[in-house]
Amino acid sequence: MTTVGTTASTARSVRPRSRRPWTPSQIVLTLLGVAVSAVFVAPIAAALFTSLKSEAEAAEIPPHWLPKVWTAQAWKALWSTGNLTNWFVNSLVVSVCVTTVVLVVSALAGYGFARTEFRGKSVLMGMVMSGLMVSPAVLGVPLFTTVQQMGMVDTYWGMILPQCAPAAMVYILYKFFQGVPRELEEAAFIDGAGRWRVFLTIVVPLARPSLAAVGIFTFIASWNNFLWPYMVTNNPDLMTMPNGIATVMNSYGIQWAQLMAGGLMAGLPLIVVFVFFQRQIVAGVAHTGLAGQ
Amino acid sequence: MERPELNRRRLLATAGGLAVAGSFGFAALGTGADALAAGADTRVRYWNLFSGGDGANMIAMLDAFRKEHPGIAVKDSTLQWGNPFYTKLAMAAAGNRAPELGVMHMGRVAGFSPGRLLDPWDIELLAKYGVRQQDYNPALWNRGVIDGRLYALPLDIHVQLCFYRRDVLKKAGLLGDDGLMIPVTSTDEWFDVLKKARKVQKKGLQTIGLWTNDQNFQWWFFVAFYTQLGGQWFDDARTQVLFDADKATQVLEFFRKHVTDGYVIPGAPTGEQFINGAPFTWEGNWSVPVFSGAKLDYGATPLPPVFGRQATHAESHSFVLPHQSGRGGATNEAAHELAAYVVTHALQWAAGGHIPAYRPTLSTEAYKTLTPQNEYVSAMNHQATEPKVWFAGSTGVLAQDLGPMVVSSTMGSAGPAAVAQRMKKELAKLLASKNPMDGRTAAQGGAVA
Amino acid sequence: MTTSAQTVLAPARARTAAATATVRRKQGFQHGGWFVAPFLALFVLFVIWPLLRGVYLSLTDANISGEGASFIGLDNYREALHDQLMWDALGHSAYFTLLVVPCITVLAFLLAMLAHHIERGKWLWRLCFFVPFLLPSTVAGNLFQWLFTQGIGMFNHTFGIDTPWLTDKSYAMLAIVIETLWWTVGFSFLLYLAALQGIPDHLYEAAKLDGANAWHRMVHITLPMLRNITGLVVALQVLASLQLFDQAVVMMDFGPGPELSTRSFVQYTLEQGFTSYRVGYASAMSIIFFVIIAVVALARMWLLRNREEGGR
Repeated sequence: MTTVGTTASTARSVRPRSRRPWTPSQIVLTLLGVAVSAVFVAPIAAALFTSLKSEAEAAEIPPHWLPKVWTAQAWKALWSTGNLTNWFVNSLVVSVCVTTVVLVVSALAGYGFARTEFRGKSVLMGMVMSGLMVSPAVLGVPLFTTVQQMGMVDTYWGMILPQCAPAAMVYILYKFFQGVPRELEEAAFIDGAGRWRVFLTIVVPLARPSLAAVGIFTFIASWNNFLWPYMVTNNPDLMTMPNGIATVMNSYGIQWAQLMAGGLMAGLPLIVVFVFFQRQIVAGVAHTGLAGQ
Repeated sequence: MERPELNRRRLLATAGGLAVAGSFGFAALGTGADALAAGADTRVRYWNLFSGGDGANMIAMLDAFRKEHPGIAVKDSTLQWGNPFYTKLAMAAAGNRAPELGVMHMGRVAGFSPGRLLDPWDIELLAKYGVRQQDYNPALWNRGVIDGRLYALPLDIHVQLCFYRRDVLKKAGLLGDDGLMIPVTSTDEWFDVLKKARKVQKKGLQTIGLWTNDQNFQWWFFVAFYTQLGGQWFDDARTQVLFDADKATQVLEFFRKHVTDGYVIPGAPTGEQFINGAPFTWEGNWSVPVFSGAKLDYGATPLPPVFGRQATHAESHSFVLPHQSGRGGATNEAAHELAAYVVTHALQWAAGGHIPAYRPTLSTEAYKTLTPQNEYVSAMNHQATEPKVWFAGSTGVLAQDLGPMVVSSTMGSAGPAAVAQRMKKELAKLLASKNPMDGRTAAQGGAVA
Repeated sequence: MTTSAQTVLAPARARTAAATATVRRKQGFQHGGWFVAPFLALFVLFVIWPLLRGVYLSLTDANISGEGASFIGLDNYREALHDQLMWDALGHSAYFTLLVVPCITVLAFLLAMLAHHIERGKWLWRLCFFVPFLLPSTVAGNLFQWLFTQGIGMFNHTFGIDTPWLTDKSYAMLAIVIETLWWTVGFSFLLYLAALQGIPDHLYEAAKLDGANAWHRMVHITLPMLRNITGLVVALQVLASLQLFDQAVVMMDFGPGPELSTRSFVQYTLEQGFTSYRVGYASAMSIIFFVIIAVVALARMWLLRNREEGGR
C-alpha cells in the first residue's frame, strides 16, 4: 500500500515544470542508461528483425541484423497454420479464469484470516504459510497423479485449478487487511451491516490497489506459466502459448523466423499491457514483493 | 468531463465481464477452438514426431489423403522429438485422452505397455484398406506383434549412414570406377581415407561429422560398431550380462581417435559443415532430403565395416493406436484407413531417405532409381539393433543411460576402458531392475515380445 | 477530523467488542469459516493432498498408469541416496543457484541505482530493464538458444568468437545463467527501485549538510536502508533458482545438456516420473526436494528473526 503511494507521488514530483539543466554527471548517466538498455533490448530486436526475414535468410551464416529483404512470411505462416491462434485463445482462457478465481478466493481468505475468528485459525494459517514452499516444480509428480485421479489431465480445469491456490497471494492480502483501520468496519457494524456487506462495500473498495497488484501479478504468472501446463496437457489443441511453442514444433523443422514471430506473439500482449499500465504494474510487482519483507 | 470517463469505465467493466464469462464458458466446454471448428466430420487426431524433410513429406501425404477423403478431418500435431513425445503420448493414453493415431519407434513398443497404453490393430480393417502381412518382411512385421496381436504397423526402416562428398573424394582419389566410395574394411584403412580426404578438403572445416556431443547419435554409432565386432548384450534368458568390455573399449577408442587426430571439431554443426564442404558426415538417412535439397554431389553408404563385418544401426517408425477406452466406430476406422494409406503410398516417404517397409513399394521402378537410396538399401539386411528388452528403444532408458557415457569417452572426459566398465555395470543394473509398468524384470519377461 | 472520529468511536468500540464477542461465540465457525473455505478447499486439494499423496507414493513402486502400486517401504529413498545421477542433478541446480544469485542481486542493484539517478525518461529505463521478464520462459529460452547457436547465432557473431555455448559441458550452464540474468533481473530491479524510492529524502539532505560525499551517502545510508530488500531478493532468487527447469530444458531441446551437464533436479525428477514412468521413485525425490526447499525457507525465516532481535 505504501509503495503504491510513494511510487505514484515520486512519479509526479520527479517531473518538475522547469527541466533541470544537463549536468555532466547526468549526461554520463543517461548515456550509460542508453547503452545498458540497448543490451537489454537487443535480443528482442534481433528476434523482431529475424521474424521479418525469409527462412533461408534467417539461417544464413554469418547472421546479420537487418533483413536484406523484408517479408512478413513468418507472421503469415503463423496465422495460416492456426495452432498459434488456438494457443492464444487457450492462454487467454486459462489466465483469465485463474486470475478471477485467485482474486475472489484469496481476497476472501485474506480477509477471513485477518479479521474473523474461527476455531483452528492459527493452525490453518500456519498450514497456508507452509504452502509457500510448494510449487509444481517441487511437487510436480504427486500433483500430476492427483489431477490424473480426478480425471482432469488434458482439460482446462486441470490447468486452471491447481494454479488457484497461491498461498503467497493470500498472505499479501492478509497483510493488507490487517492494516485496514478496524474503526471503519465497526462503524458499519453499528449501523447493522453484516460481515459480508462490510466486506463488499467497505473493505474491497479500500483494497482495490492491492487487489489490482495481486490480479496483475497472477495474470503475468499464469500467462507465462510453462511447467504446470506442460505436465498436465498433452493434447496440442489445449496447449497454452508457452507450452505449445516449446513442445509442438513446426512440422517443417526449426524455422527460426517463425519461431521468433511466435515468441513475439506470445510476449507482445503483456508488453503492450505493460506500456499502458506501467505505473500500476511496477507498483504491483513491488508491492507483491515487498509484502514478503 | 465526467461523462466519458464514466462511460469508458463502464465499457471496460463490461468488456472485462464478458472476457471472464467467455473464458469460463470456454473452459466449461473444454475441447479447444480447433475441435469446435472441426464440426461434425470424422476427426482423426494424429500425433507424430516428424520434423524437417520428414515433416514436409508427411504433410504432403496427409494433404493427398485429405483430398481423397473429404469426410475425414485429419488433425496432425508434430511434437518435439524424443522424450517429450513419448512422455506426452504415454500420459495421454494413461489419462484416457489419447489421439486416434500415433507414431512410435518399434524398439519402444515393447516397453510401452501394449494392451494398457496401446490398443491392437484390427487386421481385417487393415486388409480392407489394402495392408496385409504378406506385403511385409516377416521379421519386421513380427517386431510389432506382442502376445499374438499386432500393436505396431511398420512404416519404414531408417539407418545410420556414412555420407560423403563425391566432389571432395574424387580429388582425393577415394572414388571407385562406379563413382561410389571405395570400400573400407579396417580401422587403419578408414583413418587412411580420412587422412587423404583432409589433404584436399576446404580449410577450416572438419573432416567428418560424428555428432560427438549428441548422446543419441553416439549411442546409435556405438550399437552399430559394437555389433560389427560381434558383441552381445545379454543371454537369451535375460539373466546374465554378456557385454564385452574389451570390444566396447575398442569401439570407444575408435571414436575417440577421430577427435584426438583432429578429424572432428567437437560441437560444430555437422550438417552445415557437410554442406559447406566437409568430406564426410555420419547421419541418419533422414538427412537425404536436406543434402539433396542443397544440390550437393554426394553419396551415402552404410557405416563402414571397419571391424570386418557389415552392420549399421537401424530403427523403424511404426503406426500405433494409443489406448482409448472407447476405441471403435468411425474414428477408429478412419485411423486405420489413414495409416494404411500412408503405408501404401510410401514412395513419397522414401524421398525422405527412409527405406519403405511396405515391400511392393521397394520393387517399383521409381524406388529403384532413387539416389542415393539405392546405394544403401542393402543396409536393411544387416541391421544392428538394441537388445529386445523393456528398457531399450529410441531415447529409451538404455540409450539415456549409456549414451552420455559414450559421449564422455568420445569427448575425452573419461577414458574408454573406464567407460566400458561403467557401461557394463549399468547394464547389470538395468537387467536387474523392474519395468515400472508391470513390475517384472527383463528375465521375468517384463513386456518382451 | 481523526480525533473526533476516534472520540466518537472509542466508546462504541468498547461496546461492540463485547457484543461481537458473544455473537462470535454463538456463530462459531460460520463467518470466518465461510470466508476461508473456498481457498482452503482448493488449497487442500492441490497442495496438502498432493503433499500427503507424494509421501505415500514415495513408499510404493507406483507407475504412471495410476494402478497396481505396492508398498516397498523406504526402498526409494535408499535408492535415491545412492543415485549418483540425482546428486549430480542436485549439484547442477546448486551450481546454477550459486552463479545466478550473486550476479542477479548485484546487477539488479546497479540497474536500480542507474534508473533512480537518471532524471529523465524514468519510464523508458523501467521498460527496457523489465521487458524481458514479461516474456514466457520458453520464449526467452528459445530466443537465447538461437542467439547461442554456433554459426547462425548472433551472440558469437557480435563478439567475434566461436564458442560452443550449447554443446560443450563447460559452457552450457554458463549460457543458461546468462539467459536467466537477462530474463529475470528485471523483477529484482523493480524491487530495488521501489526500495530506493522509499528512502526518505531528508536522510540524504541531512547527510549532505554534514558534508558526506556521494560515496559515503551510499555506504552509510543507501546500503543499510536496502538491507531488508536485499535479503528478500536473495531469498526469492535462491528459491526460484533451485527450481531451475524451464529455460534449461528449452535451451537444450528437452535433453540433459552436453554430458548431462545442465540436468537440474526438477528435470531429473520429471524424467523419472514421466519418461521412465517411475512415479514412486520420482515422488521420493520430490519429497527430498521439498525438504531441501523447506530448509532453505526456514533458514531464511530464522535469519530474519535473529536480525530483528539483534536490531532491537
